[in-house]
Amino acid sequence: MDTLVRQLSRPAVPVHGEDDEAYGNAAEWGSMGGYGNLSRTGAISGMTVPRVLDPISFLATHTDNLSTNPEAKIKLAHGTTCLAFKFRGGIIVAVDSRASAGSYIASGTVKKVIEINPYLLGTMAGGAADCQYWETYLGIRCRLYELRNKERISVAAASKILTNLVYQYKGMGLSMGTMIAGWDKTGPALFYVDSDGQRIKGNLFSVGSGSTFAYGVLDQGYSYDLSDEEAQDLGRRSIIAAGHRDGYSGNTCNLYHVRENGWEFIGNYDVSQEWYKYNEKEKKALEHAGKAGVQGGSPMAVEA
Amino acid sequence: MALFAPPPMYADPTMAADKQHAFNPYSENGGSILAIAGADFTVIAGDTRQSEGYSIQTRYARKVWQLTDRCVIATNGFAADGNNFVKRIKQRLEWYEHAHQKQMSIKAIARLTQTMLYGNRFFPYFAYVILGGIDEDGTGAVYSFDPIGSYEREACRAAGAAQSLIQPFLDNQIYFRNQTPAPGAEPFVPGRLPLSTVLGLVIDSFTSATEREIAVGDGLELYVVMKKGRTTDDLVGSDNLIKNMQVQELGALGEGGSERTFLVSLPLKRD
Amino acid sequence: MNQLHSFQAVPSTRNAFDAYSTLPEPPRPQSTHAPRAHTQQPIVTGTSVLGIKYEGGVMLAADNLASYGSLARFKDIQRLHPLGDNTCLAVAGDMSDFQYMTKLLDATLRADRSVSLTDTHPPFSPQNIYTYLSNLYYARRSKVNPLWNAILVGGWDKEKKESFLAYVDLLGTTYSAPTLATGIGAHIAQPLLREAYEAKAGVDGKGPLLTGQEAEELLDTCMKVLFYRDARSLNKYQIATISNDGVKISDSKSSETEWGFAEGLRGYGPQTQ
Repeated sequence: MDTLVRQLSRPAVPVHGEDDEAYGNAAEWGSMGGYGNLSRTGAISGMTVPRVLDPISFLATHTDNLSTNPEAKIKLAHGTTCLAFKFRGGIIVAVDSRASAGSYIASGTVKKVIEINPYLLGTMAGGAADCQYWETYLGIRCRLYELRNKERISVAAASKILTNLVYQYKGMGLSMGTMIAGWDKTGPALFYVDSDGQRIKGNLFSVGSGSTFAYGVLDQGYSYDLSDEEAQDLGRRSIIAAGHRDGYSGNTCNLYHVRENGWEFIGNYDVSQEWYKYNEKEKKALEHAGKAGVQGGSPMAVEA
Repeated sequence: MALFAPPPMYADPTMAADKQHAFNPYSENGGSILAIAGADFTVIAGDTRQSEGYSIQTRYARKVWQLTDRCVIATNGFAADGNNFVKRIKQRLEWYEHAHQKQMSIKAIARLTQTMLYGNRFFPYFAYVILGGIDEDGTGAVYSFDPIGSYEREACRAAGAAQSLIQPFLDNQIYFRNQTPAPGAEPFVPGRLPLSTVLGLVIDSFTSATEREIAVGDGLELYVVMKKGRTTDDLVGSDNLIKNMQVQELGALGEGGSERTFLVSLPLKRD
Repeated sequence: MNQLHSFQAVPSTRNAFDAYSTLPEPPRPQSTHAPRAHTQQPIVTGTSVLGIKYEGGVMLAADNLASYGSLARFKDIQRLHPLGDNTCLAVAGDMSDFQYMTKLLDATLRADRSVSLTDTHPPFSPQNIYTYLSNLYYARRSKVNPLWNAILVGGWDKEKKESFLAYVDLLGTTYSAPTLATGIGAHIAQPLLREAYEAKAGVDGKGPLLTGQEAEELLDTCMKVLFYRDARSLNKYQIATISNDGVKISDSKSSETEWGFAEGLRGYGPQTQ
């Protein structure tokens, strides 16, 4: 850990001319100058690390990643419900769209599904920037793989690139819990990757502050043999339920379906509207069945 | 949330003692910024007060800067970080222009902003950034960022001290949130408001924020970026000018002859 | 925040000699392999400085005291530093960092002067010097190794024929205004400066500015008021006048003070009841 910090930070040069902050080479202008903090070869060319005894607690003191440090001035967007599951018809990926900073809803229109390439999706939970940045970078790496090997990268390999990337920064305060979903030679594949360095293959995941609510609905309605429509509805319903109950999730639900020919965006649904729609449907179904006595049953109730 | 709670390393008492004496490289300088995208224009605004705590450092400090003929940037948070971030990004844009003989598109500037902010992931710029301008197909564009570079294209965004006062108002007026059209009336379509309406909303946002937020006031600087060939009558027409409002056109930075940028300034209350 | 002259409020139990912690804490030893940390707290400090634009130039004021905690340690220190022919600094905060910074700037100006013997480039404008300082101070704060000062840069731009007044501090924070004050002066003197400035020039600053004499009298008043209430100040100060004629730094002077009011004030003088 300390070794990494030392590598990342510039050497502690005694200050003389005050100009040791050499910013690149004048010959590396323009197209040779790389892009942002990416070097010309596409490698991450150095992250600024504060020159203090303990850079990690420095960051923890000044930033508030997960509303655990309300003193800090730098509040970063976070909070989520994401889910994905495999079934006969491929993979369903569903997410909410809320980002909060403390108790303030920083945005209700976040795209938490990151379209890495036409066959790969990543979801966003934890720090918004960490997920967005590293999954975009993963997209670059996947494209390079494709160019070098003349075939698409497997989901297993792509997710492993991501784990290895974030594992390098373990303990430095990155925060991401993501699902990488896609279709490769082996068929549909789904992995959970997080900033602790975990990487798990699985059939069904839910991540984020609202994940428990989503799991409730998901587990209750899940079957591998669901039809496409049923599976999409299950994904949507689960996010709606989480959005309704978890304060840090909500606003809208984005729904994606991964099939053999790549992913498809199914739609964007308003959480409040959908909740009452389901409520209405449930009531009607009950009335129809002649169970007029049962009032106000939850739209997410276990089917009889 | 517990899923991603960081280890409580700052709970260590020996470090707490250190923390008391440690140099804090950050400050907060108040103020607020705001951007709204229209169909063929974008408005980006910020107040000109710079403060620290209860002291007003100056009544005129810029928070909004023209980057290219079709892109304007606004920063809020720690003024030194904001100014230096703008300086860096201007340098990168100049290099790009030398290398490619054209100005960078707003979409590319947005991605550049992300990578530059994220490059300081472990020693963040304390700056909330908003980009506003005209995209490659001539529509108004607003991109907003958090301090470490997560970003999103939106129709409008308020940031800074009065964010929580202005954003709900914008949600209601720009996105028509919680509004229902009268029976028989046309449904609301966001992103179609005329410039005069948007200008009114921006000015009202800031005059109202000035009344309720001590860190906002003194003056308002409002940049309007207009699509190539669009009429400017609704801005420079004399009947649109409110009292003490000044409009000036900013000359082309690049080849010229395309998009046009105007700077509108007017005073806000100083108390 | 950034209190440039405050130390521990609680008496230290470690040292009977300094029971009330009026002296700054000595820097603790740093571990050897860690990045070097320099000024993490100021030691010998100067209190607030003032600046105002007047008709034809800028005036800066600073007292002659360099404190060591609450001890008035050096009472003949000049905190106004001329740079070139038409720029002057007024510096608050750590005095060793002040000396380091002026050494750096003097060297830069000297090097430039030697080059200017062989070509004809214009001398550094106040804006040039200010930009250099801002970049220096922001770079140092970004290394978490600040130069612990708050500085006012006053100048006369010979090309533009206009005055220049701006602020930069240990965080790299920069701003400009027609009247400026650092530290406690921002709370006590700045309101007086603004009031007098706006009374003549108007809130938009477009009216006539104070004359040189009016500006100096205003600064005298402000320095007196500061001396009454700033416990780290000294009634011995200098005023720098920067105009088209160059930088003039006055001899040290004192304000007439009146302490008669203390007599009837409970708890101020010798009486205890």
